[in-house]
Amino acid sequence: MATILVVEDDKNQRLLYEQELKLEGHEVVTASDGKDALEKIQEQLPDLTIMDINMPKMDGIETMGKILGKNKEIPVIINTAYSNYKDNFMSWAADAYIVKSSDLIELKSTVKEVLAKKAKDS
Amino acid sequence: MKKKPLSSNQAGTLNKIKKLLSKSRGKMLDDKLLESLEGMCADLGSQLKKGEVETKNLSVKKEEKEESKILEKQIQEEREIFDNVIEVMGAGLCLIDKKSKVIWANDTLKEWLNLSESPVGVHCSDIYHCNVVGTDKCPAEIVLKGKKGRIVQSWVRTKARKRMCIQHIAIPITDKNNETNNILLLTVDVTESEKMVHRLLLLQQFGEITQGTLHLDKLLHLILTCITADYSFGFNRATLFLINKELNVLNGKLAIGPSSSEEATRILKEMSDSHNSLIDIVDKLEYSHNIDTPLNTMTKLLVYSLVDAKEVVTLCTKEKKPIVVKDAAKDPRVTDDFRKAMGVNEFVCVPLIAKNEPIGVIVADNVFTAEPISDERVNTLTMFVNQASLAIENAETYKNLEDKINQLTETQQRLIRSEKLAAIGSMSSYVAHEIRNPLVTIGGFAKTLSRFTFTDSKIKVNIDIIIEEVKRLEKILNNITDFGKPSKPEKIDTQICEVMENTCMLMENYFQEKHITLQKRYETGIPEVPVDPIQIKQVFLNILMNAVEAMPDGGKLDVNIESVNESIKIYIIDAGKGMQHGVLQNIYDPFFTTKPSGTGVGLSVSLKIIEDHGGTIDAISEQEKGTTMLLTLPIK
Repeated sequence: MATILVVEDDKNQRLLYEQELKLEGHEVVTASDGKDALEKIQEQLPDLTIMDINMPKMDGIETMGKILGKNKEIPVIINTAYSNYKDNFMSWAADAYIVKSSDLIELKSTVKEVLAKKAKDS
Repeated sequence: MKKKPLSSNQAGTLNKIKKLLSKSRGKMLDDKLLESLEGMCADLGSQLKKGEVETKNLSVKKEEKEESKILEKQIQEEREIFDNVIEVMGAGLCLIDKKSKVIWANDTLKEWLNLSESPVGVHCSDIYHCNVVGTDKCPAEIVLKGKKGRIVQSWVRTKARKRMCIQHIAIPITDKNNETNNILLLTVDVTESEKMVHRLLLLQQFGEITQGTLHLDKLLHLILTCITADYSFGFNRATLFLINKELNVLNGKLAIGPSSSEEATRILKEMSDSHNSLIDIVDKLEYSHNIDTPLNTMTKLLVYSLVDAKEVVTLCTKEKKPIVVKDAAKDPRVTDDFRKAMGVNEFVCVPLIAKNEPIGVIVADNVFTAEPISDERVNTLTMFVNQASLAIENAETYKNLEDKINQLTETQQRLIRSEKLAAIGSMSSYVAHEIRNPLVTIGGFAKTLSRFTFTDSKIKVNIDIIIEEVKRLEKILNNITDFGKPSKPEKIDTQICEVMENTCMLMENYFQEKHITLQKRYETGIPEVPVDPIQIKQVFLNILMNAVEAMPDGGKLDVNIESVNESIKIYIIDAGKGMQHGVLQNIYDPFFTTKPSGTGVGLSVSLKIIEDHGGTIDAISEQEKGTTMLLTLPIK
C-alpha cells in the first residue's frame, strides 16, 4: 500500500489512472499541473510520483527538477505521449520513462518495480 | 703651257718695227711686202695680247687651286664633325633615291639593323625588313607624293643582341626646282619611351583587372608575369614571398622565370614573337606551366623567420623600403645561404605593403642577361608592386570572405534542412500527442469496463472491439512517429583514445581561453571497445568541463588512458580546488550543482551513460589539491 501522486493535465486520463491504481490497492493523489503537484507533495509526502511532461504552467521536467531538488527520496516515473524526451538528458534523472498507452500493464509493472527498489534502498 | 709668253720688251720691239715699217712705206719696200709685214706684226700683236690674257688667266687658276685645297680640307673636317654629330645623335640615317635604293647609310643604322655588308645600292625594304614596301603606308612613298613622312614602328634585334623599338621618319630632300630627288630616312630608338608607355599601360591594365577580384594564386602568377614580361619590366626572374602572420615567417610562394639559360633564350625568343596584352595573359594563365619548375619548387622551400631580420628579404619587410643589392657576395645584408638559393649577385627586393603593413617581398633579378638594375627600373617596379600589394590584400580578404560565405551557406542549408525536419517532426509529434491522449483515455476506460461482468454478452464483445481498435490506432501512431524507439546506446567498435582526442580538439579554444595546459598520455595498444561514441563523447565533455571549471585561474590538466586487465581506465586529473566531503557524496545526484549556472545533470547523465555501457565512475578528490575522475569501461 503506497501513496502515489499522479500529475496529469487531462481530466479524463487523471480519472483513469486514479481508478486503475486504486484497483491495484494504492492510495492516489492527483494534481493537474506542476504547481499543484509541488503543493501536493508538501502536503501528502507520496511514495511515488507519476509525471506527465506536456503540461500548462510548468512542464513535467521542470517540476521533476524542483521535486528532486527538495526531496530526492521520492522516485519519479515519467509518463508521456512523447517518446523523444527519452533522449533529453534531463529526463534521465527520472527513475523510469514510459510512453503512454491505453494498455496500463507497463505502467502498473513499473510502479511495482520502482516501489520495490525504493523499499530495498531504504 | 709650252709657249713662252711675250715680254713687254718684245711688245716694244714690235712697235719699233711697226714704226720703221710705216716710215719706210713708199720708200724701198714693195707695198705688198710691207702690208704682209704689217699683217704679221698685227698678228704678233694680237698673239701677244692673247698671251697676256692667258698668263693672267693662268695665275688666277693657280690661286683657285690652292683655295679649293683649303676648302676641301675644311669640308673634310666639317664632314668629320658632322659624322661625329650624327653618331652622337644616336639616330640612324639613310639616304635613298626615288627608286628606294640606298645611296648612303650611317654606322648607327648598320649597327641597329644588324647589317654585315654595305647597304649601298640595295632596296630599302631589304634592310628595314618592313612590310609596307610598295604600299601607300611606306613613309618614302608618302613623302614622294608631297605629303608628310609617316612613322613606322617596329621591334628589331641589334648586332649587340639588344631588343629595340625603332621609328622611321622620312624627310624629302629637294633640289632648287623644288623637286624631290632623294629621301632621308631618319631612324630613332624609341625603346625606352615605348617601354615606359607599356609600363604605364600595364599599370593601367593591372589596375583595371584587379578592380575586379581575382583568385589569389592567379593574381600572384599575374604579378610575377608582369615583372618578368620582356616588354614591360623585363626582369629575367621574379620570386614572391608572403608573410605568414601566425608563424611569423616569410614563406616562398611562387617564382617565375627560366630555370636555366637555355630556357631563358627560348623564352626570350618566344616573348619577342608574341606581344600579349595583360588581359590575354590572365585569360591564358596556366598554373601548371610554371608550377613544377625547379626554381618554383626551390622557392616554396624557402622560409625565413621574421623574428630576427637576418635575411635581406626579411629586412626589406621590416624597413618597408626597396633594397637593391649590387654585389651579394660583398653585401653584409645578404647571407651566403640566400645568395646560393637565389644564385645571383645583383637583385632587387621590393616589399609588398598593404595599408602600411608589410605582407611580403618580391625579389627580381637579371640572372641570365646580367643587365644592371637601374634606379629608374626600381622606381617603376616599386610603383607596380605597391598596386600589386593592394590587389593581394584584396584577394586575400576576398578569399577569407568567400570561405566564410561558403561556411555560412552550408550552415544555412543545414539549418533549413534540420528546420524542415524539425517542422515535420513537431507537426507529426503534435498530432500524435493530441490523438494519443484521448486514445489512452478511451482504451483505458474500455479496459476498466471489460473487467465487469455483463448480463448481455454482446456488451463484452463490443467493449473488446473498442479495445482492439484503440490498440490498432496506437500501433499506427507508433509507426508514424518513432514512439517505440529505444533510447539505448548504439554501440560500435570505437577507439576510446580517438574519442578523447576529438573531445579535446573540440575544447581546444576553451582550454586556451582558461589557460589550461593539457597533458595527454595514451598507452599504446588500447583495444577498440563497443560503445556509443556520441554518448561517450558527451561524458568526456561533461567531465573535462567540470575539471576546467574547478581551475578558474588555469592550471595543469592530465588525461591518461590505459588498459588494465579486461577494462580501459580513463583518468581525468585536474589541479583544481577539489571537493568538500559533502559535495563528493552528491555529485551523481540529478539537479545537484555547486555551480551558479549549472543544471546539475552533467555527472548524473555521465554516470547513466557509463552504467549503460557496463562501466563505473569513481571520483577521488582532495581539497585544494584537485580531483581525479576515473572512468572504467569493460573491454568486452
